[in-house]
Amino acid sequence: MRLAARLPRALLLPPLLFVAVVVAAPMLRLLWEGAHPEPGTAALTGQPPLTVWGVWADAHLRFRLLWSLAQAGISTALTFALGLPVAWVLARHHFAGRQWVLRLLMLPFVVPTLVAALGVLALWGPNGHWAEPLGLELEDTPWLLVIGNVFFNLCLVVRAGVDALGQVSASRLAAARTLGATPWRAFWRVEWPAIRLPLAGALCLVFLYCFAGMGLALVLGGQRWATAEVEIYTLVAHELRLADASALAWWTVGFGTLLAGLYASLARRLAQPRRADRVPTRPVRGWRARSAVAAALTVLLATSVAPLVATVAWALADVPGLWAVWTAPETLDALWNTLRFSAMALLAATALGLCQGLAVFHWRGAAQAGLWVQASTFVPFVVSPVAVAFGLLLLYPEWTASLGLLVAAYTLLAYPFVGQHVAQSLAALPPHWAQAARTLGASPWRVFVRVTLPLVAPALRRGMAFAAATALGEFAVSLFLSRPEWTTLTTLIYQHLGRPGAANLYAAHALSLLLMALALVVFVLLDANVGSAAPHAPPKARHA
Amino acid sequence: MSHPSVPRSVSSATLSRRAFAACAVGLACGGLPAWSHAEVPLLRVLTHSSFDLPKELLTGFEKSAGVKLGIVKGGDAGEMLNKLILTRANPVADVVYGIDNALAGKALAAGVLAPYSGPSATAPSAAILPAPLVPVDHGCVTLNIDKAWFAKSGLALPTSLQDLTLPAYKNLLVVQNPATSSPGLSFLAATIAGLGEEAAFDWWAKLRANGVKVAKGWTEAYYTDFSKNGGKRPIVVSYASSPAAEVFYSKTKLTEAPTASLNLKGGVFQQVEGVALVKGGKQAEAAGQFIEFLRSAPVQQALQTTLWMLPATPGVAAADVMRHAPTPTAFDNPSTEQMAAQTPAWVSRWTQVVLK
Amino acid sequence: MWGRLRPTPHRKPAMLEISGLCKRYLPLPDEPAPPGEPNASPRWLAHDLSLTVAPGQTVALLGASGSGKSTLLAMLAGLEPPDAGRVCFDGEDITAWPPERRRFALMFQDFALFPHLSVQDNVAFALVEQRMPKAKARQQAVDMLGRFGLADRAHSAVTQLSGGEQQRVALARALLSAPRLLLLDEPFSALDADLRQRLRGEFAQRIADAGMACILVTHDEAEARAMGQRGHRLVAGRLQTIW
Repeated sequence: MRLAARLPRALLLPPLLFVAVVVAAPMLRLLWEGAHPEPGTAALTGQPPLTVWGVWADAHLRFRLLWSLAQAGISTALTFALGLPVAWVLARHHFAGRQWVLRLLMLPFVVPTLVAALGVLALWGPNGHWAEPLGLELEDTPWLLVIGNVFFNLCLVVRAGVDALGQVSASRLAAARTLGATPWRAFWRVEWPAIRLPLAGALCLVFLYCFAGMGLALVLGGQRWATAEVEIYTLVAHELRLADASALAWWTVGFGTLLAGLYASLARRLAQPRRADRVPTRPVRGWRARSAVAAALTVLLATSVAPLVATVAWALADVPGLWAVWTAPETLDALWNTLRFSAMALLAATALGLCQGLAVFHWRGAAQAGLWVQASTFVPFVVSPVAVAFGLLLLYPEWTASLGLLVAAYTLLAYPFVGQHVAQSLAALPPHWAQAARTLGASPWRVFVRVTLPLVAPALRRGMAFAAATALGEFAVSLFLSRPEWTTLTTLIYQHLGRPGAANLYAAHALSLLLMALALVVFVLLDANVGSAAPHAPPKARHA
Repeated sequence: MSHPSVPRSVSSATLSRRAFAACAVGLACGGLPAWSHAEVPLLRVLTHSSFDLPKELLTGFEKSAGVKLGIVKGGDAGEMLNKLILTRANPVADVVYGIDNALAGKALAAGVLAPYSGPSATAPSAAILPAPLVPVDHGCVTLNIDKAWFAKSGLALPTSLQDLTLPAYKNLLVVQNPATSSPGLSFLAATIAGLGEEAAFDWWAKLRANGVKVAKGWTEAYYTDFSKNGGKRPIVVSYASSPAAEVFYSKTKLTEAPTASLNLKGGVFQQVEGVALVKGGKQAEAAGQFIEFLRSAPVQQALQTTLWMLPATPGVAAADVMRHAPTPTAFDNPSTEQMAAQTPAWVSRWTQVVLK
Repeated sequence: MWGRLRPTPHRKPAMLEISGLCKRYLPLPDEPAPPGEPNASPRWLAHDLSLTVAPGQTVALLGASGSGKSTLLAMLAGLEPPDAGRVCFDGEDITAWPPERRRFALMFQDFALFPHLSVQDNVAFALVEQRMPKAKARQQAVDMLGRFGLADRAHSAVTQLSGGEQQRVALARALLSAPRLLLLDEPFSALDADLRQRLRGEFAQRIADAGMACILVTHDEAEARAMGQRGHRLVAGRLQTIW
């Protein structure tokens, strides 16, 4: 019985080993290289290397770090301010097409960063469709980056808000109303205390993504408003100033780890079984409800869908041309590559994510260790992708440009989503079911297969949907060495945008549309029960 | 999180999920690369991301040399060289293509290239590179203008670099950051060689005051800031061959290029790209054959419309579409030694003057 | 009306013997300290607890909330290890046996029916664990449900049943697994008074018909007296005999 109790905890090993080999070791190798530069390289860089504390003395790098924190904070605050009202409206009302709205929310996740950035620029950049009528000159301002951040992250906050509001006890809310609270006061005194922890967790993640994300800042940040991660990329890839990059990387990893730890501690406090009496959704009646729903949908459309409309409209403007691009041999090759790499990565990410989620669940009893096990789910987001890519070059040169490493890179970015969803779902499972199954003669393995896994399956599928979307729209992997025969749809889009010509620009938009369609299909297949707050309350137990 | 309702029979949702799972597993297994026969040796070629040659030529080379080509793309030319330098203890490639004259000095100083003594090393070329690099193609980095914008605004084209600092041309230029972009670095080098170092940085300071926009790389400058693609700036740093590419890749048939190159004194840099053996690489013989292959006539002909550069081997017929991109006659290049020694200092001074 | 259960493999009457069971209360690391006891020394949920249950006998355990009744049942079922003490059944020391080996059925206040399985699959759960072919197991489950008058609900989802029906299904599930001992953890607390009274009588009759030993944990003394031949109160980890 002792061994059987320890075995689930050992499930931490596969993801831990994976992270150690693919992420930690290369990053440390690169940092080591920065600390012990070869005699020749110093001459190439022409400047004395920085120490870890020297980062704060250098005005430029100090600004980068502080700005990274600031833009993450502003973006998080904005997504919260926009996301909470939208989530409340979506959670409390039902209307035709609600399921599709919740599904479309996931679209921003899939879109490759460059396409999203182009979309944001099409609306808000120079000669932007919206910036120009409003007379806004957002070029070279930090607002483009903030808008881009909101585009990617609003859906997370809305999703988390809808889920959290679905867990508010209907009876408590009703009690508050009958005790004389207006709807607003009822929200403030009953719903808000119940949802603030889950929302805090989601906002923590949003902050982490905004702080540590590289793709968007690379394109929308411009020269002045780039983040620390972009600075690391420039220092490593272009200037080979590894020592300075290492010094900066220690700080970004440090902040990222704090954030991951904060999220983990919030998640642990949230772990409790789900309740049964959910607040039922109301039909949309009356001008107030109608205008609320309209406002919520407008906000969602404006932030999360509008940047994509430019791409879609452009691509659909010429349907024969669209078909020609889609059926071109290089597109079909790229499509095949995308599908098979994503499939491989999805399988690996599901396996690793399941291990991670189970490990988090089984380590929840340990105080400190349990916290860090949960935080370790987010290691791939905390480390700098450039440092990892270059570290891999140094550490495993014979593996570079190998298929295994490529799929490993995809898996790395995808498995945390599976792990996080599985861990949340396991924590929310009432323990009695597993106990009942044990007493009915099922061994722990059989309990897992017959009871736990089917009940965790919806969350597992949602995590897999996120994982698949990430694999489809990958960006950071393009930092690795790649072979032309492994061109994916995303790399093909970048290739088209590396050459002049209207046909290339059109092809980029057409392929983006294909990618978005693919992701939508994946989401529909995997996450069919999206936003499944029951439209009516479950029937009360009748008298027998 | 609600739990799924109990299926009375297998629902369509479950069926589609099973189909999806089957597809995923099938793709994953079927997508694995076939076990390659170990007899054919692998020739590893490192290139920058813009490398592109017709498939038939590459497979033809594989057959004639009896090797399997493993082309690896390493990003921008500067990034690619950095990766090569970083991995010099255990090189990731046997032959490298894409190091140009701006980067040659850095490559030589880092000692990552091996000497080559085949026929192409001593053959005449339209452009030269320091040994052991063998030139493959050449082109010019220069300014491009949006013809439609200038026609509409009625503004006269600038005739010298100094014109770009005049109020009439305020907020019309977009350049790339030399720290992160190869054409950006080339343009900076041209201004320094053409105007002299001090005068050049004075000019850049005036340009900053006149509203020059700095983009991270060629794609950002050309596809978001250039007025032809929806941006606001009608003058961009690009290649002399870009107008020809615009015609080649246009959606409708064009008789005239929509853009043109603007060749100003001090604003044209001749870029020569070359191929070399990697020090410590294997397959020396096949690598040498690859160098010869790149200098062969079919490849030199084809690269004009795939790499958008001019062939280094003299006597190769110019592609028809290249008539839209006349070659600039004059250019300003610093010497290779100067570039090797001064590039980091120039770039950091530029950052100081223009960005900070 | 009832019919006999499948015969158990044990021929002679079995007896449950608990001796010297000890269990300390250990709060989870993240749990706040219980109110009123900021830094108290750990409480005992079971302190040198001993009990015997004869075959066919129902023993009722009363106690305040949080006194450890559920933990005691969990220990008996094998879900939690005791700090000290022995549990013997039929002369065998089963203290170290895992739950799936002990064959003690455990019933819960919230019924614990598996929501992803239909009613008949719930009832047939243990039979499938015993390697019976699914069709045969389902048939037996339907037969058992028929004895409870719920055969027409065999294909329903468990969420469509009322509370009383769910608890009956839970009993059917427990009985079909041919347990050697039945452990009931406040089985009727979630139901209204009227239903509670009716089910009380029904369950007592069925358990007596099956001739099974049973331990009932409840906070309702009337219910304990109605169903149990013996009654104890759990106070500070010790049992006080009431009747």
